[in-house]
Order: sequence, then structure tokens, then C-alpha cells
Amino acid sequence: MKHQSKLNPEQQQSRQVGTEQQARQQPALEFATAEELLRYDAAHTTVPAGVERRLQKSAGDLPRPKPAWWKRLWGGTKP
Amino acid sequence: MNEPVAEREGSDEALGSLAPSEFADLYAAHSRAIYYLTLRFLGDPQKAEDATHDVFLKAFRKMDQFRGEASWRTWLYRIAINHCRNLQQAWHSRHLFSNADEAVWENTPATTDSPLRVLETKELGERIQAALDGLSEEYRLLLLLVADEELSYEQVGALTGQSPDAVRGKLHRARKAFAVLFKKSDPLPEHEASIKT
Repeated sequence: MKHQSKLNPEQQQSRQVGTEQQARQQPALEFATAEELLRYDAAHTTVPAGVERRLQKSAGDLPRPKPAWWKRLWGGTKP
Repeated sequence: MNEPVAEREGSDEALGSLAPSEFADLYAAHSRAIYYLTLRFLGDPQKAEDATHDVFLKAFRKMDQFRGEASWRTWLYRIAINHCRNLQQAWHSRHLFSNADEAVWENTPATTDSPLRVLETKELGERIQAALDGLSEEYRLLLLLVADEELSYEQVGALTGQSPDAVRGKLHRARKAFAVLFKKSDPLPEHEASIKT
């Protein structure tokens, strides 16, 4: 047996609007400072995987970097 | 197993030359910070992706110039800031500006985020970018660097060529300017993210 809604179309529409409003009224995010907001934004940002792949290829085409100039000169002692 | 690069900073072994696996650790430890800086500094995900690649490649090639006086993070930031400035100068000199299409505002949400979270992150990212674009380059850079908890005011000062006191003073003004612009970019003030002022 088909289950019919007890609400008339007007009530249904009103209910739908209410649900949409409720969805929009999610708890607001409040940040103490701009930096806090930027930190939140940074935490939700992911580096595209393509960067690492490209980097592996680019770095692989290069010779391995030489040790630091002071390391070559003083044999590993920090100047 | 390799010790994370961030924990080896300052030790002789960490300086000057890294094995490929150690360079991978360096990338893992700092790529998000560098990508985020370039993304919000340049305001374009594609340019930020290219810039992040170029910054790490430059770091790889110039590893012998890293003397350990700064942290890896600070050294990478310095390369990134110079790189972004060079890019902007080149664009301005050619009178080329970024496309005002959807991509300008996008960032890349974490892949595990729900569709609702992805949408929220995108909207928030758009508002943040709009507010940052309204700031001077100096304020924009200052806020982005101070937002990195790994950097002290001294390090931010060293990166931006000013004293820690000057950083603190300008930061106060940058925060206020950002808050005003961020509020202006809010389509529904009562429902969205906000900053206490």
C-alpha cells in the first residue's frame, strides 16, 4: 500500500524551505584572527599529486647535488 | 627508517646534501606550506602548482647553498617568495593577468572530505582569496607567513626584511584590513565563517 504524506503541498513546500534554511544554518565557523582562518584554510588544502610526480621526473633528470661548499672545504665541519 | 627532515634541522648531516629519500622527506614536511603560500600569493591553483614544483626543483639544485643558518622551512619560503615575485613582475611587465575564471578561486580540498565539506572549503577559499587580493602584497605576505605556526616573528621579519617589532605592528593593521575585506566578501553574513574583530 502506498504511503501518503500527511502534509498538503503547501505544508510540504514550507517544510522543504525549513530544511534548506536549517542546512544553511550550520554552526558558523568563527575565528579569532585572520591567521587562524588561514591556518584552517591551509589545513584543508592538499598539494596536487601531480607536483610530486613532476618533481620526481625533473629531479631525476638532474645530477645529484654536490655537498655544501663548506662541507667540501672543511670536511663536514660547520663554519 | 629515515628520521624526518624537520627533526634533523641544524645537524651537520642534514645540511648541504640530501639523498633522494631525504629530499622526499623534505618535500613531505614542507610542500603543503609552500603550496599554500604560492596558492594564496598568486591566487591561481595552476600557477601555484607550477611554482611549488619550481621552488622544490630550485631547492634541489641549490642544496649546496643551504648553510643551515636558517631552517629548511625558512629557506624554502625565501625561494618561494622570490619565485612568486619574479613571476608577478614578469606578468605585469607583459600586461598579462590571471584569468578571471572559476579556477582563480579554487583550492584543492582534501580528498577525504565530504561533498558538503568540499563545497564549504571552496566557498571559504574564494572568500579568503578575495580578501587577500584586496590587501597590499606586504600585508598579504605577512599574514600568510604569520599563519605558519612553525615561523617565529623573528623568522617572518627576516623573510620580509624588517624587525620583529615592525612585523607585530604591521600585523595588527593587516589583520584589521583583512577582517574588513573578508566581511565584505560574505554573501550571507549570519551563516558563514567570520573573524572576531
